[in-house]
Amino acid sequence: MAVTTDRRLLEPWQDPKAPPYLRIDRVTKRFGDLYAVDDVSLNIFKGEFFSLLGSSGCGKSTLLRLLAGFEYPTSGRIFIDGVDVTDVPPYSRPVNMMFQSYALFPHMTVEQNVEFGLKQDRIPKKERQERVGEMLDLLKITELRKRRPDQLSGGQRQRVALARSLAKHPKLLLLDEPLGALDKRLRESTQFELVNLQERLGITFVTVTHDQEEAMTMSTRIAVMDAGQIMQVDTPTAIYEFPNCRFTAEFIGSVNLFEGKVIEREADQVLIEAHHGGTLRMRSFHPHPLGTPVTVAIRPEKMRLSEAPSPDGVNQLRGIVEDIAYLGDVSIYRIRSNGGQLVEMTLTNHQPRTEQALTWEQAVSVEWSPTSGVVLTE
Amino acid sequence: MKRRAWPLIGILAFGYAFLYVPILLLILYSFNESRLVTVWSGFSFKWYGALLHNHQLLDAAWLSIRIAATNATVAMVMGTLAANALVRHGRFRGRTGFELLLTAPLVMPDVIIGLSLLLLFVAMQQLIGWPTGRGFTTITIAHVTFSMAYVAVVVRSRLGQMDASLEEAAMDLGARPLGVYMRITLPLIAPALLSGWLLAFTLSLDDLVIASFVSGPGATTLPMVVYSSVRMGVSPQINALATLIVAVVALAVVIAGISLGRKPGR
Repeated sequence: MAVTTDRRLLEPWQDPKAPPYLRIDRVTKRFGDLYAVDDVSLNIFKGEFFSLLGSSGCGKSTLLRLLAGFEYPTSGRIFIDGVDVTDVPPYSRPVNMMFQSYALFPHMTVEQNVEFGLKQDRIPKKERQERVGEMLDLLKITELRKRRPDQLSGGQRQRVALARSLAKHPKLLLLDEPLGALDKRLRESTQFELVNLQERLGITFVTVTHDQEEAMTMSTRIAVMDAGQIMQVDTPTAIYEFPNCRFTAEFIGSVNLFEGKVIEREADQVLIEAHHGGTLRMRSFHPHPLGTPVTVAIRPEKMRLSEAPSPDGVNQLRGIVEDIAYLGDVSIYRIRSNGGQLVEMTLTNHQPRTEQALTWEQAVSVEWSPTSGVVLTE
Repeated sequence: MKRRAWPLIGILAFGYAFLYVPILLLILYSFNESRLVTVWSGFSFKWYGALLHNHQLLDAAWLSIRIAATNATVAMVMGTLAANALVRHGRFRGRTGFELLLTAPLVMPDVIIGLSLLLLFVAMQQLIGWPTGRGFTTITIAHVTFSMAYVAVVVRSRLGQMDASLEEAAMDLGARPLGVYMRITLPLIAPALLSGWLLAFTLSLDDLVIASFVSGPGATTLPMVVYSSVRMGVSPQINALATLIVAVVALAVVIAGISLGRKPGR
């Protein structure tokens, strides 16, 4: 019992009675004929680090701009902390945004940039200076306070932008590709820092990103978007392990897809006749009627590779090694099955490369267990 | 390398000479003793002294400066508003027409602008009784109509280069639209406003054709006085006046350069 309570605190979306902190209710945004955001509903809870993930043009940035108030929805409502903010202009919303370009005011010092929002709220000078000091301290940029944006490096600018958007203690912080402009090494360390900061301040973060790795490491939950619609909302683990559609499965990580149709059902498993030959046995909790066209999705690292098929194995696929890409820690094998399908799999290099027996053009057997993948209907 | 550099330096020197030798000669002859502009007979400040007592010339200069300053200020405000409409308000209805009409004075011959405005002013006076007569007001209005186009072009390019998310960021941090404009947009486009103002000032100070059309008795601008006196033979007093103007302009350019150059960022 104690365990479930804890789980509900940490994962409020599991609790049907938990009130959402940000509620997006059937929001649509149309530009002419284009549906940038198409009937999106989403509940985000207090203290979440929520990511909108999708390729460019999928509507994630428009959704963020709707939350900030720079765009108004064609239809639908937006509630923050129970208040309908749909028609509230950006300067009156309890929301702040960190821009992709950082949008630091070039004619102001770092200090003046951070202070800008507090000044607009007519907070007395003494308190203003305290809060600015706190923010600069929090982001470790106190020594830059007198500099102007053009005297800062990319990483420093990002910190100033963050300090400026946090200074007003918003109910919701929106981050537009927060790490997009940083180089790879800085990006990795900043990811953890951003998460720590969010946990310390308890502010709800909504971020937009096209980088799945970034979304996976930082988020409590991810919404995968495509063509203005939300395809799946779930925790990073669930999104990766249990994608609910082909789009999500292919967008996050790599995946092998086997098309086929259901030929038999038993308890929690289904037998699927694959178009490229062979019968696959997969676990599935959905009651697929016989004959349903389905797709089996298996991640490349969830497969086994052996020279000869194991005698008791299910889901065996024979083929030859067509390509090997050695990446140091892992190797990617491309195997052409006898049915003609290309299967990609990843193997950890437990042994030094030179000790490995597998080589090009070798006949092999690929296997996986019924619980290693998911059965998708679309 | 060196052999090839010489012709280039020669061309450069010729270019500069072509541009600046006449001005230098003009300055030099303002200190000439002789009444003849083309004959040097000794150094003297006497033409500067004479200039101080030449009320016709001084009045004309003062009128020109007043017109130029009023024109530059009005054109700066109106040109900036027009540039704002073009850059910030997307594809509003009639935008193409607005843009065309705004920039038309840039390519329209002065004679046509002058004549059409003269006809307009005369017709207006007959119909509504304003402007009464022609002079300061009509010249200023005429100058604003074309200087505004130049200001709009300068400000528009600056506004277009400005990152629109700066304004959004200010709004996001709680600034209302007017506050955003005053605290973010204006300071960032200020250099363009200044150069627009200077451009409009210069254009107005320069203008002879349009002013000749729309001025009336008693309102003679400096270029008009200079032009008419040149026809009767140039007095070195005009050289003296030109030297003073060149000095003031040079000073203004230097000051503007220093104050803009000191500001970091764009």
